[in-house]
Amino acid sequence: MTAILEVTNLHKHFGGIHVTRHVNFSLEEGEQSAIIGPNGAGKSTFMNLLTGYHRCDAGRVIFEGQDITNRPPHRIARMGISRAFQVSSIFSKMTVAENVRSAVHAQLRRSFSIFGAAGRIGVEDTDRVLALCGLAAKRGLVAGELAQGDKKRLELAIALAGKPRLLFLDEPTAGMSIDEARGTMELVDRLNRELKLTVLFTEHDMGIVFNHAQRLTLMHRGEIVVQGTPAEVRANTIAQQVYLGEHHV
Amino acid sequence: MDLSAFLIQLFSGLSRAMVLFLLSAGLSLIFGVMNILNFAHATLWLVGGYVTYSMFEFLGGQFGASPWMLLPAIAGATAAMAAAGFLLERYLIRRTYGRDLPEQLLLTFALVLIIGDLIKLVWGVENRRISLGIEPIEMLDTFVNPYHFVIIATGVAVAFGLWFFLHRTRFGKIVRAAVYSRNMVSALGIPIPMIYSGVFALGVGLAAFAGGVFLPLLPMSLGVDHDIIVQCFAVVVIGGFGSMLGTFVAAVIVGVVYSFSILFWPDGALAMVFLIVILVLIWRPWGLFGTEMRY
Amino acid sequence: MNADNNNWWSRLYAKYGLSGPAAIVLLVFFLLVPLLPGKFWTIVSTEILILGLFAMSFNLLYGYMGQISFGHAAFFGLGAYATAMAFTRLKTAGGEIATLDFFLSLLAGPPIAALGALIVGFFCVRLTGIYFAMLSLAFGELLFYIVFSWYSFTKGDDGIQGLLPPPYFQDAAHYYYLTLAIVIGALAVMWRITESPFGYIMRTLRDNQRRAAFLGINVRLHMLVNFVIAGAFAGLAGALWGPFSRSVSPGLLGWQESGIAVFMTLIGGAGSFMGPLLGSVIYTFLQAVVTMFTSYWPLTIGTIILLIVLFLPGGVLGMVEKGIKARRGAGAGEEKQP
Repeated sequence: MTAILEVTNLHKHFGGIHVTRHVNFSLEEGEQSAIIGPNGAGKSTFMNLLTGYHRCDAGRVIFEGQDITNRPPHRIARMGISRAFQVSSIFSKMTVAENVRSAVHAQLRRSFSIFGAAGRIGVEDTDRVLALCGLAAKRGLVAGELAQGDKKRLELAIALAGKPRLLFLDEPTAGMSIDEARGTMELVDRLNRELKLTVLFTEHDMGIVFNHAQRLTLMHRGEIVVQGTPAEVRANTIAQQVYLGEHHV
Repeated sequence: MDLSAFLIQLFSGLSRAMVLFLLSAGLSLIFGVMNILNFAHATLWLVGGYVTYSMFEFLGGQFGASPWMLLPAIAGATAAMAAAGFLLERYLIRRTYGRDLPEQLLLTFALVLIIGDLIKLVWGVENRRISLGIEPIEMLDTFVNPYHFVIIATGVAVAFGLWFFLHRTRFGKIVRAAVYSRNMVSALGIPIPMIYSGVFALGVGLAAFAGGVFLPLLPMSLGVDHDIIVQCFAVVVIGGFGSMLGTFVAAVIVGVVYSFSILFWPDGALAMVFLIVILVLIWRPWGLFGTEMRY
Repeated sequence: MNADNNNWWSRLYAKYGLSGPAAIVLLVFFLLVPLLPGKFWTIVSTEILILGLFAMSFNLLYGYMGQISFGHAAFFGLGAYATAMAFTRLKTAGGEIATLDFFLSLLAGPPIAALGALIVGFFCVRLTGIYFAMLSLAFGELLFYIVFSWYSFTKGDDGIQGLLPPPYFQDAAHYYYLTLAIVIGALAVMWRITESPFGYIMRTLRDNQRRAAFLGINVRLHMLVNFVIAGAFAGLAGALWGPFSRSVSPGLLGWQESGIAVFMTLIGGAGSFMGPLLGSVIYTFLQAVVTMFTSYWPLTIGTIILLIVLFLPGGVLGMVEKGIKARRGAGAGEEKQP
């Protein structure tokens, strides 16, 4: 299997605080992988750097053989990388269907189409994504008025509408009930299996992580400390120390 | 241009700058602390001028006309307008907190129209001016109104006063903290609503003070506020919202640029000012001395 | 629901939202106005239409894209001046203009305004919120002072006079119907644009710019395109204004003129396509009537704006929309909002 994502020597500091320290990382195509670590480990910042939300101070990010380091977010998105945010970031005054539809239009490169009828373009893709995420029945509701769990689902739907080959999920089950979380992660598993979608997600819930990730990366204070299968990481003494607060970088 | 002409232009530019500073300082503080862009600031300045005029006439009638009556007139007008500003914030402006920016802008825009017409209602359409009977003095081969010195001195004095207030008094430090973070100040147990009312009153008081100080130099007339307010915006944008040093420096820049531009481009002097605003917004949107943290 | 909801009125609402019925009502109103005795209402209605088009162009930036521009009148003014200058060059020494030349001069407005919007917009779309507002204001004022001071080219404060339309259009009713036809055409195009994929991308920029970028949207470029489109429509309104009022002056570019578009949009409701035009009807009509009785028009309109901001922020159409929703109850399904 080829590496779909290669990260070398990624480094970021805000003022004097080094949040990402010379990180080397790679993802195999079709892999479903998780990044874990205590709060403040730098997981979200890492994801922000990979998706162009922050500029990195050093290092390179290579996606499918192309250097995407420091490219603006919209260019990275158009190359086939999508992300879902930890706090659902949706278009609150538009309906659920309009939310997904606009993402579809962007993916179809029809965003400058000023004379087409929005409701007639990308209908199949929109319906498909809505059905996939269990939002078909709620398509007419205004996004801002959805329940929290539905907002997270819409968040995922918008990311999926971009037909990504690499999907970043920042705490996909945060704020969900156990059933909702299970449903979401089963969907992610299915997407990974059926569409060969490479998935990288961050999580706090160890149960989710051990059941849904093929490989784990443990970050602490901006560095990768341990990598391996869930079983390997669980048995690793350094990992245990990190979580008990005894590990010092 | 020879030296004396240069100095004369500089002089008048500084005088203009001080008035702009006095007026824009309040605007900058209000926006820095409360995020309200007070379109009506120059209109309140105008009211301050008219009120000062009326007080001056009244005191002159009571105690005998004298230029020194200007001092209590200005003091009285400033106090009255500060109180009015307090009430305005408490009962009107306060209702727009938490609303979108455009709605806040529209509220103060509406005040421009309302207060402008109220001035017309109370004082009519004629200009109001005060003549202090000061003889022009001769300076550098030309005659200069010495009142300009008064204005410059007042501006500098107020600048120092504001600096002292913001950096050395407790209330002032709270105000500066609130520019950085409202939430933190509130979390410290300090009542934000009182701060807001106080800051707004201070801002309006400053504007009224500027109106009174300016009265002997320029007649107060309807519509002047429309021209002045965009110049105040220019000053605040160039200097940076919430920064007194920025406002002072920017006021000097605007005043001097305007004063020299008048020489070779009389009708377009203000265009030069707005060109500077555009350059600042493109290069450094938060202004020369503003903090990047906001927006 | 009930059987009576199947009448064409409800179907219009279901398909087009509140703007559907509003458009019909307004159309009927505009078609009937010239039947009133005298010229006064016809002339007022021409002004309503022109300023309404201007306000609608403003709402492309505000209601649909979420940015407030205090310099939008600059493009209204640029269009007016472009037409005025073409008019002056095309008319005969006797001051008359041929019909074809008249239409050519109208055609000059939108492209010049669009060019101006391209230059100004290039810088403005790099900012948002208060900074966007301030930069647009600064550009507007800059353009105002350039027009004001460039006497040899624009006649400065004197303005350009003598814009007398061809004899047929000197009749108030004829010019009115011409304006109505052009405005209807412009609004039809505008509606298509707002209901296109591009139009919905604008709404995403309004609701959550960051997220839109992560969808693959080049935010600045999309904002610029919208800015230019809005500028072009403002220029069209400006083009119509010159021959209507027989002259143009620099004030057409100033921030107070920009404010009029903002007021109209607020009164009618920014959340609805037809809002700004309805706002123009209310504003212009009120102004015409109030100024007959008192010179305190600013006090009147200022108070109205104040009350609307405090109690009715969605404008008239926003209030109607809320009323309809309240009557239908929650969870009614398709609630169309722009």
